[in-house]
Amino acid sequence: MSENMLSVGIDIGTSTTQLVLSMLTIENMASNFTVPRIVIVDKRVIYKSAIIFTPILEDNRIDMEKIESFVEQQYVAAGIQKEEIQTGAVIITGETARRENANEVLRALSGFAGDFVVATAGPDLESIIAAKGAGVHNYSQEHSTSVINIDIGGGTSNLAFIHNGEVVDTGCLDLGGRLVKVDRQTKEITYISPKIQELIEMKKLSIRLGDTATEDKLAPLIKEMVQLVKVSVGMEVHSPFYERCLTHKGLKRNQNANCISFTGGVADSIYNDYEGDPFLYGDIGILFGTAIRQSSILENFTLVRPDETIRATVVGAGSHTTEISGSTITYTGDFFPIKNIPVLKLASDEERLAPEEFGERIKEKLEWFKVDGRLEHVAIALRGKHSPTFKEIEKLGTGLALGLAELMSKESPIIIITEEDIGKVLGQTLFSQTGNEEKVICLDGIKVENGDYIDIGKPIADGKVLPVVIKTLVFH
Amino acid sequence: MVNENEIKAYIENILRDMVGGSEEEKKPANAAVALKDEQGGNECDTGCIDDITEFDLKKQLLVPEPMNREGYLKMKEMTPARLGVWRSGPRYKTITSLRFRADHAAAQDAVFSYVPTDFVEKNGLVQIETLCKNKDEYLTRPDLGREFSKEMVEKMKKACGKPKVQLVIGDGLSSAAIEANMEDVVPAIKQGLKIYGIEIDAILFVKHCRVPAMDVIGEETNADVVCLLVGERPGLVTAESMSAYIAYKPTVDMPEARRTVISNIHRGGTPPVEAGAHIAEVIKTMLDKKASGIDLKK
Repeated sequence: MSENMLSVGIDIGTSTTQLVLSMLTIENMASNFTVPRIVIVDKRVIYKSAIIFTPILEDNRIDMEKIESFVEQQYVAAGIQKEEIQTGAVIITGETARRENANEVLRALSGFAGDFVVATAGPDLESIIAAKGAGVHNYSQEHSTSVINIDIGGGTSNLAFIHNGEVVDTGCLDLGGRLVKVDRQTKEITYISPKIQELIEMKKLSIRLGDTATEDKLAPLIKEMVQLVKVSVGMEVHSPFYERCLTHKGLKRNQNANCISFTGGVADSIYNDYEGDPFLYGDIGILFGTAIRQSSILENFTLVRPDETIRATVVGAGSHTTEISGSTITYTGDFFPIKNIPVLKLASDEERLAPEEFGERIKEKLEWFKVDGRLEHVAIALRGKHSPTFKEIEKLGTGLALGLAELMSKESPIIIITEEDIGKVLGQTLFSQTGNEEKVICLDGIKVENGDYIDIGKPIADGKVLPVVIKTLVFH
Repeated sequence: MVNENEIKAYIENILRDMVGGSEEEKKPANAAVALKDEQGGNECDTGCIDDITEFDLKKQLLVPEPMNREGYLKMKEMTPARLGVWRSGPRYKTITSLRFRADHAAAQDAVFSYVPTDFVEKNGLVQIETLCKNKDEYLTRPDLGREFSKEMVEKMKKACGKPKVQLVIGDGLSSAAIEANMEDVVPAIKQGLKIYGIEIDAILFVKHCRVPAMDVIGEETNADVVCLLVGERPGLVTAESMSAYIAYKPTVDMPEARRTVISNIHRGGTPPVEAGAHIAEVIKTMLDKKASGIDLKK
């Protein structure tokens, strides 16, 4: 028995906006004689939209209406009804995430695109989604190697360090193909981003707004940009401007990758020889890509060709954001979908404290989530012990019940997330200790960290599992 | 007389050669066999070697120079099969042979040993037994392992009363499985059922138990659901795996398809506490649908 879930991915980037539809197949992989184990067994992209320029209004705000009509048109073109979409994610990336109405657009659009289409933003998530969308994690696993994937878009470059299939580090630079714009007809430079302006002034380059762009004129700037990429992958030592150029953080310095791959719009001119007008797209993307192709970066690393380039992020958003909870979990009532719940992750050593102390810790930490003294909805995450005794579960349950008293008194359900397979027994323990049967959701098999958000969709596979999206919501 | 430390170093060297560790690899796999010096004196009498079954086989790679150690270990992580054991000439290495025998011995012990009376009493179980007189008869006469004497039936009926759900523990082919898991599974089942308003009273312990013994218990007690937790036939991976056989109103000679089975309950499989919580829900579903086994899937 397998079941399909239709998933949508929408990427609103610095320069382009795209949409894909993916079919996720879930199946119970366990035999008839054991507890169920339901997993996603296949992810297939079934529709790819055209790539359009992200519509921006005169006042620099995102043109919400145009994006909505784009989404509607694509649904019609793909021949699907909005109601058929069961999961998915809208991601707002690069410079677009910095626009004034980014948050507003994101939330409205996630609701518009489907019932359980979640809103996501944040440079780390972007790096992970792009790498997975391009299948780089699979390459790394199959070849038992480490790969740095750089998703070079219009405004930012997202780095992901992947070792044996796992993303172990991420970083992001304000470096992209559309930080300098050129008029396609007159070749006049029409835009220089503030950070590139700083770089130009620092290096005393003669590139100014209104100048006529030529390859030679821009060459010194492109060279500096490639230099920054080299620093980002550990080929060169830090420079003060590199620090300025970081969106929030770079990759850690103490790790060496064997391979490198590129995704994003600029990647196409890294993998393919490009001849013709370098300003075809009205920016410096082609020049930047070509310069990377000719640089020593490709001598230093084995170049891996990803499954997707410009579509990596959108495919990642459509195919790689939804996870499935463990198959023995607890939930009651129909609260789903539950969206945008911040996560409070407790430390492993806290889990081992006596129940009273553990409860106190939870109470203290819940204070962080209070806005004007009011407690917002929070999901509590634990690692959990592998195959604990029943006494240990009871102890954990008592601690949680003490710590969550304030949340229990609210309308919304208590959400507990564990990594180890203890969701059902812990949920039942909370029921019986609190008498609160209607409002406990206890999921396992899900790894989250502080700073993450969780969205939970409607039950699938005969109600055995819940689809879950773990994400970040960071606007600069 | 030779110096104590020299003897120790000498033995350590032999052992190191036997288990084939290279210089850079003084890891627990090999260190586990090193002698311990307790109080001096004659070490051969007073020394003890570490339990070789303590070491996690999934982390033990005996191939001396693997092309990709990390990849090999990752593969081993996926399976309990004894991969990467290397060889000495055409044979296993000593450590591999010893471990194999130790695991085999544990499996045999699990079959031939009994669940201690202390354990049965401590957990407040009501002990009954099938017609088998000893382990030999139990193993050779499966038919007797599913029948009870008149006295036993009386004892069972008296202890159980009129249960809605009757919980039964059976030694089956692994007493070790019962000792390892029962104390975590049973309270989880009880807690889960209590949420649904179902109380568990007397719990039976059946010595020399075959699975169909639960059918007799079902008929005699008139329970709506009988749940038997029984030790599985042990293998070389674990001797502590337990199964739950659950049936709605079981009857003697009913088709096997009416049993719902949840197997592989042990630390390395489905965690006992989580299995208990799941079993409680399965029982509840059976009571609601008045069916079990294949009928439950309709």
